[in-house]
Amino acid sequence: MNLYAYIIRRLLYVIPVLLGVCLVIFVLFNLVAPDPAYTLLGKHATPQQIAELHHELGMDRPFLVQYLDTVKTAFTFNFGYSWTSKQNIWEMIKAGAGPSLSITGPLFIISNIVAISLALLVAFYRGKLIDKFVLILSIAGMSIPSLAVVLFGQWFFAYKLGMFEISGYEHGFPQFIPYVILPVILYTFISFGGDTRFYRTVILDEAYQDYVRTARSKGLSEMVVMFKHVLKNSMIPILTQIIIQIPSLILGLLFAESFFSIPGLGAMTINAINTSDFPVIKAMTIMSAVGFILFGVLTDVLYTVVDPRLKLK
Amino acid sequence: MKMRNIFLVVISAMSLLFVGCTKKQDSNERILNLVSPAEIKGYDPIQADDLYSGREISKIYEGLLQYHWLKMPYELVPNLAEALPEISKDGITYTFKIRKGVMFQDDAAFPGGKGRELEAADFVYSIKRLADSRNTATGWWVLDGKLKGLNEWREKNAKAAATNYDEEVEGLKAIDKYTLQFKLAKKFPQFLYSLAMPFTYVVSKEVVAKYGKEFINHPIGTGPYFLPIFDQGKKITYTKNPTFREKFYPSDASPEFKHLLTDAGKKLPLVDKVVVHVMKETQPAWLKLNKGEIDYYSVPKDNFASAIKNNKLSDELAKKGFVLEIAPQLDVTYTAFNFENKLFHNKKLRQAMYLAYDEPKANELFYNNTAFPAQSIIAPGIAGVDANYKNPFKGPKLEEAKKMLAEAGYPGGKGLPELKYDIPDSTVSRQMGEYFQKQMEQVGIKIKIVSSPWPEFQAKVKKKAVEVYGLAWGADYPDAENFLQLFYGPNKSPGANGSNYDNPEFNKEFEAAVSMQDSPERTARYTKLNKFLAEEVVALFGVHRQAYIMEQGWLRNFHPTDLHHDAVQYLNIDNQKKAELLKNF
Repeated sequence: MNLYAYIIRRLLYVIPVLLGVCLVIFVLFNLVAPDPAYTLLGKHATPQQIAELHHELGMDRPFLVQYLDTVKTAFTFNFGYSWTSKQNIWEMIKAGAGPSLSITGPLFIISNIVAISLALLVAFYRGKLIDKFVLILSIAGMSIPSLAVVLFGQWFFAYKLGMFEISGYEHGFPQFIPYVILPVILYTFISFGGDTRFYRTVILDEAYQDYVRTARSKGLSEMVVMFKHVLKNSMIPILTQIIIQIPSLILGLLFAESFFSIPGLGAMTINAINTSDFPVIKAMTIMSAVGFILFGVLTDVLYTVVDPRLKLK
Repeated sequence: MKMRNIFLVVISAMSLLFVGCTKKQDSNERILNLVSPAEIKGYDPIQADDLYSGREISKIYEGLLQYHWLKMPYELVPNLAEALPEISKDGITYTFKIRKGVMFQDDAAFPGGKGRELEAADFVYSIKRLADSRNTATGWWVLDGKLKGLNEWREKNAKAAATNYDEEVEGLKAIDKYTLQFKLAKKFPQFLYSLAMPFTYVVSKEVVAKYGKEFINHPIGTGPYFLPIFDQGKKITYTKNPTFREKFYPSDASPEFKHLLTDAGKKLPLVDKVVVHVMKETQPAWLKLNKGEIDYYSVPKDNFASAIKNNKLSDELAKKGFVLEIAPQLDVTYTAFNFENKLFHNKKLRQAMYLAYDEPKANELFYNNTAFPAQSIIAPGIAGVDANYKNPFKGPKLEEAKKMLAEAGYPGGKGLPELKYDIPDSTVSRQMGEYFQKQMEQVGIKIKIVSSPWPEFQAKVKKKAVEVYGLAWGADYPDAENFLQLFYGPNKSPGANGSNYDNPEFNKEFEAAVSMQDSPERTARYTKLNKFLAEEVVALFGVHRQAYIMEQGWLRNFHPTDLHHDAVQYLNIDNQKKAELLKNF
């Protein structure tokens, strides 16, 4: 199938998926979640005020009208205003995306480079001391709760050794850099274990294929065998693993942003959940759904680039 | 070089490289660094229903009255008013003279970008904004039913196509440019406290009109500090308001605050810049305090044992120059019953539950033994508390509890259904719930813990969908009425009376007491009502908490307070002392 036709067809799938997402959001917020009026009006709310707020927020309209409103929001990306901060939600997203990306961007690049490099290394030295050492480190990274890693890292590196800022954020380049180094290092440690183990398995699967033996028997160097043949042929699962992380980069790190006082989208989402700020939660849910769909399409297209044997259907 | 050393060298080099990226401060500039443990909702005074937003709003906006910074018990003094109001003999009319020459901060909303002079009409507008149902103000409760004609104005305009701010309200008038008059719907002396609360702070009509919905992020007031725009970030930096009027640090103080008179008579505010760091997690804030980057912070529960020994700071912290401030808070914790459930009309059952509950142990477990046992609802320090009174039903008195439970009709808990105990979703709340469960189990009362996220917990209370639940109440103003109203029938859910207690005898006595001016007779009535609630066991009263705050040795004039939202203008930094003390860090 023509690449463009495939992309258009996949993008058309966005419509039913978004309708489904809207239905889930609508049911969750309107039928399952508690009435936000109680949180928004505070401890002295009266029935009259609650009714007034329902009217103000459009919550007294028929369910169908409210559902269609959610659908309209999803397809126009006009998220409206936050119920608590009264800010335009697009403006909030634009303001929070930079700080979030300043952590998730470097974290994404560094953690994947570290994980793939280590996976290649331990696959090459399978069963040797270095493999065992990385295995122990990976299991430690996966087993120690992320909260403990963050608490220890903040106390030891930032407070005791004074090497980094404890928390906070400055807007602008390069002012933000001192504030993101520690979270990036700590989250690289938290995430590298699982990724390294996964990539190692994928690479080892390839490393014992017949064509690799053939390459070796032809006298190719180990460097060429590992990078040109093994790594290239392992790219499909690696690509899937990497691309699936991309939508999350924009959404930020929910816990880390709160702990390091980074004014990003993760902290914004947590705050919206705590204050029942439905328009912001809706916006972030829709953004992530669209992100996952679009990057799913991108993954499929990239498969054909890295492996020409694959055909798009 | 070993791997570990290489790693440390690389990381150190990276940090040094980027240290230069952070801004350097002018050594003479006095900067106050504070923590807000919650997000700031924005800068609209009428929505300032949480303590932390109230504190930020008070840096920029002001009201007619304020609390004297150095006096306890809390004492109202004029702020934007020239003097305390003239009150008519019948206690209905309050006439204020507004301070002349007070300017709104400069902003593009004003002609030529220059702030104009404050007028009495600005208060009329600001209070109508609070009453305007289109604004769904969280602070409307402070004036709901209090001013003649204001509720009628609110209801009439709610039905109109647009709110008419020019329509006169009998109880709210600008008599001339500098004279403001309030007429109450009925006697309510607590009204004056509402004029010191952020909800009634004055805003300018021009600024509200210019920024519309985003007014909340463009604070322009008459106050001591200036913030051109609030970007919802985690760091808020205020600078001195260059057009702030002549306002001076107080020269008189209660005996316990005499030591805070070093800056008496100096022009306010005292520091050049205030930086507020929004930090919800306690560990980073505590580490920043210990590194000298924050000027004061509450001692976190998890650090209490290492920081405080015998109610004093540990030697290590004292050597660094830290000072510990301990002060009772105007609050009460209690376990509430939902009286909509007929089961709790059985007074002996309530008494049995209170007798079974080991409150001293709870104080030890959850408050490091720092709180005061609550005998009833009113917090100590407020007129109406009899310091010698002991609640006869306060536990632990297990044998009496068992006997009382039998008299209630449930010997050994037989015949009593399992009670649901609702808690908000947090570790400490769950621990408290489990403790309560264990206490009740001793007399045979079965408790099921129901945990919900905070908004859902709140909604359940407001919808009367709870049986027993735990909560705390902090005073909005220093008057017993603010505590006693928690059991006043007409305030039932979704109002502040989440217990839905409705006793005509109590309601009548309450109404009579709250309409009286402050007097020994009113205090006697408050005391009687407080004891009545205690012996009725309308709730299982827990504790009144104390604040344990650690401040830097270079911070001046600080004292913990519940109601001085505008405290920052009085605080000062001794830069020389700071430089010396930082050598010990």
